[in-house]
Amino acid sequence: MYTQKVLEHFRTPHNFGSMDNPTAVGQVGNLACGDVMKLYLKIAKNKKGEDYIQDIKFETLGCAAAIATSSVVTDLAKNKTLIEALKIKNEDIIKALDDLPAVKIHCSLLAADALAEAIYEFYQKNHQPISPELEKLHQRITVCQTRLNH
Amino acid sequence: MNLSTKSRYGLRALTNLLDQDCCCSVKQISKKEHISSDYLEKIFAKLKKAGLLKVERGACGGYSLSRDPKKITLGEVINALEKPEFICPDFCDCQSKSVWQKIQSGFSHVLNSITLDQLKTSNNKSVYLDYAASTPVDPEVLNAMLPCFDFSFCGNTMSLHQMGSAASQVVESCRVSFADILKVQPQEIIFTGSATESNNTVLKGIAFANKSKGKHIIISSVEHDCVLNSAKWLETQGFEISQISVDKFGLLNLDEFKKTIRPDTILVSIIHGNNEIGTIQDLQSIGQICHDRGVYFHTDASQSFTKTPIDLSKLNIDLLTASSHKIYGPKGAALLYIKTGTKITPLLHGGGHEFGFRSSTVNLPAIVGFTKAAEISVKNFDQENKKLSELRDYLIKNILKTIPESHLNGHPQKRLYNNINISFARVEGESLLLELDFYGIAVSTGSACSSSSLEPSHVLLATGLRPEQAHGSLRFSLGRFTTKSEVDYLLKVLPQVINKFRQISPFKS
Repeated sequence: MYTQKVLEHFRTPHNFGSMDNPTAVGQVGNLACGDVMKLYLKIAKNKKGEDYIQDIKFETLGCAAAIATSSVVTDLAKNKTLIEALKIKNEDIIKALDDLPAVKIHCSLLAADALAEAIYEFYQKNHQPISPELEKLHQRITVCQTRLNH
Repeated sequence: MNLSTKSRYGLRALTNLLDQDCCCSVKQISKKEHISSDYLEKIFAKLKKAGLLKVERGACGGYSLSRDPKKITLGEVINALEKPEFICPDFCDCQSKSVWQKIQSGFSHVLNSITLDQLKTSNNKSVYLDYAASTPVDPEVLNAMLPCFDFSFCGNTMSLHQMGSAASQVVESCRVSFADILKVQPQEIIFTGSATESNNTVLKGIAFANKSKGKHIIISSVEHDCVLNSAKWLETQGFEISQISVDKFGLLNLDEFKKTIRPDTILVSIIHGNNEIGTIQDLQSIGQICHDRGVYFHTDASQSFTKTPIDLSKLNIDLLTASSHKIYGPKGAALLYIKTGTKITPLLHGGGHEFGFRSSTVNLPAIVGFTKAAEISVKNFDQENKKLSELRDYLIKNILKTIPESHLNGHPQKRLYNNINISFARVEGESLLLELDFYGIAVSTGSACSSSSLEPSHVLLATGLRPEQAHGSLRFSLGRFTTKSEVDYLLKVLPQVINKFRQISPFKS
């Protein structure tokens, strides 16, 4: 059912564990549904003075696909500027894993959402402008979370 | 007939090349396998000539496989070294010639179907703890089935000629065996293709045959999907379904049950031994209530049949389902007991097989296998009951002791002798299942993530578990071939697997 890539990331996930003093955290998913993803970001300035993801860690409760998508999104986002990281979509995650079964596509969405949520939190905390797209995405994720939590 | 030393040594030597990325010298292999290097050199020369090996020179010189081990069969290897033949030594043209030919072709078929690669994987540890899902066919069962594929039993049981009546006689003797086991009349046993089919026949067959009396059907909240989904379908056809709740151990709430029966109730269908949590319902009490209220009572005994005694002469049961592949018989056979006088309409119409209750050409080999399987299970009941209940309790005790935040699902005593179902906090079942699979251990889970519907097990939720507890559940089911050392292997691996995922989880204790 799963590709070799998914199984590799599942067996030996990259960048897992918690982080001391993260710059931002994004948590999505819901216990009742079985998948909860938490991404920790350490954000710093690169030589050009842009904000970039210097370090990233994940903690996930969920199925093999949830763990593999979390692991691969940390690989994709590491060392990227926030602008670049926001361009990572769930399709990119699926591609990096050589595909996901149809019933597990939502795991790739969760991983992309967790990253967006962490970056949103960073912008908000630092009073930086938030693009309308990111605001819209944040609203969708929050609505989804609230609906799930009740 | 034996394999020659050449073939045995040849195979052993080749398995060494499976593990090597680079090639291996004859010297290395001869040392490891204690085979003289001259002899091995001769064997390898033959294998090289047959195109199975290639020689590489240089620092890492030696032999290596010329092809992917998935594409080299044992037949090729052995044929390169000797010509194994099964022939009548007299070279005559006697009647036994065809027998030798059959053996010869069977022999070649087996050797040609096994690849070198499989030799490697078959050595890996494999522990099957999913007997509740399906069981391997007992070798004795297979032996009983094989003659059924012979010409003399090729007939359709409905045909009047000798081949038809031979087949028919065999099926009737199988019916008698089951009648003896369940203490009923042979004509009350109907053979079907699966427990799902038996259960569908009951739900739909009773519903449609009795709708003039009423349209109310009672099931429990812990039924197998085939009963649950048949009931849901009947709802779309104008029938009304009540689901009786269970307590935290999975036992039917009898007070609620009594209150739910109405004058228009036509059927009660309650699972006997639960497939997920192993809880065994009290058939005596449920049957008595149904009998007193004049309602048909069906029980799905797929998991419990031969694992716990069922004497239908003493129980008020009108219909019962049992399945072959749960008791070391082949897949594709099951039975339905229908008490004489029960008003039921068949699901399959056709040639009127099985007393008109189930038209379909009778699957003779599968039924013979099912019968043999049931006879063996009944004969071994005391021994297996003792062995497996002990292993079950040993496993439960040790898991709960060694793994913090683990919780037994189902009833501590009233449970199938081979069922263990445990929830682990802060982990998810599908990932546990896959990780255990890497260790060669096969189990199952009630997690939503492993089901196509993405819904957690309705059985676990019915016992009051929260969804996240259901997600973190595993079912271990033991069987005839389970050993103490397999259980100990699980006990060694499981804590580290749970620990791995608890470390990845965002929730800490």
